[in-house]
Amino acid sequence: MPMTLPILPTAIVGSYAMPGWLERLKTDYFARRISRHDLDEIYDAAVKAAIKDQETSGLDIITDGELRRDNMVDYFAERLPGVQIDRSSKKFYYDFYDSAVVSKLPMASMGLVQDFNFLHTYTEHAAKFCVTGPHCLTKRIRNQFYPSEEAFATDIARVMNLELKALVKAGATLIQIDEPYYSGFPEDLAWGVNVINTLVEGVDAKISVHICYGNRYGKPSWEGSYRYLFPTILKAKVHQLTLEFARRGGEDLDLFKEFNAPFDLGLGVIDVKNTDIETPDMVAEHIRKALDVLPAERIQILTDCGCFHLPRDVTFAKMKAMVEGTKIVRKELGK
Amino acid sequence: MILKLNHLKVKAAATTQRVIEAVYALVEEGLIDQGQFARLQVELDWIQYKSNFREGVTATQGYKAFGQPAPIMDVHIDTRQVVLETLREDLLCALNRAKSGSEQDAGRLPLEEFQSLRSSIVWTFNRFFWRHLLAWEAATGQGYDKALPGGSSDGHNPLAVADDVAEFLDLLCALQTKNQLPAEVNLLEIGVGSGSRCAQWLNLFHQLDQQRGTGLYSRVCFYMGDYSLDTLNKAKPNVAKHIDQCRFIQLDAINPIKSLPHLRHKILQVHLTNVYDNLPDEEVVRRDGKLYFVQVRAYVPDAAVNSLGGKYGIPPELFRDRVYHMLESGFDSFGGPEHGVPFWQELWAAVRLEERLVQLEDLPEFPFPEGLDAGKLEDILQDAPTDFRFHLSSGALESFIRTLPLLHPSGYMQVFDIFVTDMAQYRTGFFGPGKLDGSLLNWVNGALLKEVAQREGYNVNFRPFKYRANTHTSILYTTRRE
Repeated sequence: MPMTLPILPTAIVGSYAMPGWLERLKTDYFARRISRHDLDEIYDAAVKAAIKDQETSGLDIITDGELRRDNMVDYFAERLPGVQIDRSSKKFYYDFYDSAVVSKLPMASMGLVQDFNFLHTYTEHAAKFCVTGPHCLTKRIRNQFYPSEEAFATDIARVMNLELKALVKAGATLIQIDEPYYSGFPEDLAWGVNVINTLVEGVDAKISVHICYGNRYGKPSWEGSYRYLFPTILKAKVHQLTLEFARRGGEDLDLFKEFNAPFDLGLGVIDVKNTDIETPDMVAEHIRKALDVLPAERIQILTDCGCFHLPRDVTFAKMKAMVEGTKIVRKELGK
Repeated sequence: MILKLNHLKVKAAATTQRVIEAVYALVEEGLIDQGQFARLQVELDWIQYKSNFREGVTATQGYKAFGQPAPIMDVHIDTRQVVLETLREDLLCALNRAKSGSEQDAGRLPLEEFQSLRSSIVWTFNRFFWRHLLAWEAATGQGYDKALPGGSSDGHNPLAVADDVAEFLDLLCALQTKNQLPAEVNLLEIGVGSGSRCAQWLNLFHQLDQQRGTGLYSRVCFYMGDYSLDTLNKAKPNVAKHIDQCRFIQLDAINPIKSLPHLRHKILQVHLTNVYDNLPDEEVVRRDGKLYFVQVRAYVPDAAVNSLGGKYGIPPELFRDRVYHMLESGFDSFGGPEHGVPFWQELWAAVRLEERLVQLEDLPEFPFPEGLDAGKLEDILQDAPTDFRFHLSSGALESFIRTLPLLHPSGYMQVFDIFVTDMAQYRTGFFGPGKLDGSLLNWVNGALLKEVAQREGYNVNFRPFKYRANTHTSILYTTRRE
């Protein structure tokens, strides 16, 4: 049964704060000091805690915090059938594996449904499931088979399309695709959008594409303007664009008006690259600026990007500020 | 007994033989027992600094956290200043002194309690030096630069500056091609000295910008950062030609981002020369699978107390108070710098550090510098030698970690300094602390900085400083990593 969300629903983009103790245990696993079974139990406990924190802070949409993922690439690279992984290639969990595709990707399950089911079991709130997009994956998995990055990405999209449909079948209604590398490789955008359309074809859920300027190690990988997205992005068959505005300021909001963009907006109001905690008033001000461009019914209130690199207490305080700031605006709107 | 020869100086061969003979003689005479002999580690170093904090022969006792002696004893012999004729007596004296007891203070005036090197009074002397640099220079008749190897700062090297300017302009052009060049091109130099490097850099950049027709000079904002307002004011005339491009910022080298929070992720180049080697530091010893923290205590030998006391009219019982008074209030009690500076210079030359090793039994609770914790240190030490002594480079590490967030995603940071680039290098010599004029210097644990920075998302590599022959300087070069 579809969940009814309030106006200006709040959520984190995807990842929750990675506790230092979990980082050490992940690294212990790579050093063969703990077993996979123990690590999975630790993950279950950590995800439950992340869910509880999001609920307690008052968020409307909950994620699993992506705490089972070493980083945004390896979790998917390990699950993509046909991708070869050199498991000795990293000693710290957050490093990227040296991974490569050496033959055509076969169509097979990636096993993401299990993680969604866990989330669904432990929250009664609306649940969002996030996946790393094909464009991003092609930038980190060495292509030793396909004639082009586009061909490789298109095949990843075909495999992942099956997975997204399986997620919908399991009850997923909110799916987010993360494509941070668009901002570093704007020249790829035209084929990147085609790949997104392949990925979401026939997927009956509210689809959002998250595009930021990178958040590796909690730092931007590039700088610039979202102007590069337009008008090409208008061809994307998705419902929402989720963009970072808290850190970068709201200048690019006007692009939505200028290009009459048909998308809803995932509005980043919390800077995840800075441990300073926003006040509710600062959050409210960001939202008011967005309301000059779009009606409230088309806006979700989000963090700029994942909270992976923030301390847990800071993340929790930022979420609370986001919730309180949103309440201020809802009240102003009489909602 | 383990004997470690940490250098290849010719004099060492003869010294090594004499050391073994002296230790065996003390064993035969019953002055060293079998148990003590078994856990003795004797290290022979050649201390490159003419002026340093060690006696020719010193012994360091290990302790457990609550004061009980731990079963390790290190003897350090400086093969440069050891007197072979008195080696046996010096060795016996050092061993006796290292055993805790009332004799520990005999013949010396402690200036403080045992503590981390980082909080030792020697760093107060260091700050005092920079605060009274002009008085020191007036007394010695030469500028501080002259005390540096090569007689001037490597940061001013014209070829190094020219190469950097060319590389930087290439970076700007590449960003411009991708429409990713910010409106303001921000650079930061920490520790600006006379401002000469900044002036040279801007001169060359202006010229090259005009030659290439890139038109970027007017977009440059060169932040000159220094903790001393006097230094910044002195630097201003040297950059007068480029004053519109310069911003003068008073900042603490250990926490640059505190003064520049608005420039987070916005600086395209950060430069430092010989700043890290002069920041507070501390050392750790790894021995038999355990880690020991090196605690120090500054002292002045009685001979120097008596000699200086006689010369400057200071009774021995008031000597320590006068030292503290000078460090806090300057030279008033000496009637001004005329007499105060010579006292200071002779006192500094006499100051020594004694050491003891305290086992780190509760490593996770150790007050690590920012960027480091027990888990990271253990990871870093996995590939390091099993028995060695290394710098934590606390001040340098904190400065580094608190500067990196300023870097623009495409920016770089370069540090000209004396780096230990591999932990194993610590087994090949002595790396400080030493004295340079009235200041302190330590080699910087670049290997540690590299590992910590990698965990923070940065690539670090070390480039040789190719612009001066026979230099120990190398360039730490940092960029963002994916």
